[in-house]
Amino acid sequence: MNRIYEELFIVKPDAAEEEVDQYVEQLRTQLTTAGATVDKVEKWGKRKLAYRVGKYREGTYVLFQFTADASTVKELERRLRVSDLVLKFLTVRIDQTLKRLEKRKKQRDQRAARRAANAPAPAAAPAQPSIAQMMSETPGAPMPGQPKGEA
Amino acid sequence: MAETRGGRPISASQRPTGGDKAVAGQKKQYFRRKKVCRFCVEKIDDINYKDVKMLHAFVAERGKIVPRRISGVCAPHQRRLTDAIKKARNIALLPFAASY
Repeated sequence: MNRIYEELFIVKPDAAEEEVDQYVEQLRTQLTTAGATVDKVEKWGKRKLAYRVGKYREGTYVLFQFTADASTVKELERRLRVSDLVLKFLTVRIDQTLKRLEKRKKQRDQRAARRAANAPAPAAAPAQPSIAQMMSETPGAPMPGQPKGEA
Repeated sequence: MAETRGGRPISASQRPTGGDKAVAGQKKQYFRRKKVCRFCVEKIDDINYKDVKMLHAFVAERGKIVPRRISGVCAPHQRRLTDAIKKARNIALLPFAASY
């Protein structure tokens, strides 16, 4: 069963740029050979960590998004754990979340479309004459108090 | 309002319904604005752990998650929010406990 995952991991800040690129490329090829499809690779660059990890206060964040089955993810996690470059990693399964979000969005769009379809039709019909009425009899319509005072 | 001046408790049948504190015969009157869930109002469906800027608004100075009664977030959204904050903590985007 293929699922969509997100893998966010922190690479040591003292690793060279090309070293990180090489490692990322290596992971990507490993994933594809294992039968996964890599949808997205994002490098966030160096940023400060919220707390100290080992002796490091900052790290390079790398984000992978891929579709794979559970055993591939297990293998990837093992590799990340073994690697000297990686400080921390987090795997999140996101297909259910994406599905939920899509559903919500669809509902929202539908509701908006329905509102858009409903609102102009009844509103436009009476709105036009009422404005015309207001224009024709401006002193009476907007202020109910005024005619009483005059009378 | 006048009959509550004496400071004596009024019978349950006369008591105003709901938590209307302004009428309850107290000296001070508190006007509390009704809190609304930010995620409901702004229609944010996705509470993502990677959105550190947004999560920061729901974390107290020491790194604690702000309770619902203070932030006004609705229960379903608070549940997702706590999940996101805890994930962000795990990957060092947010602190477990901020130090001074």
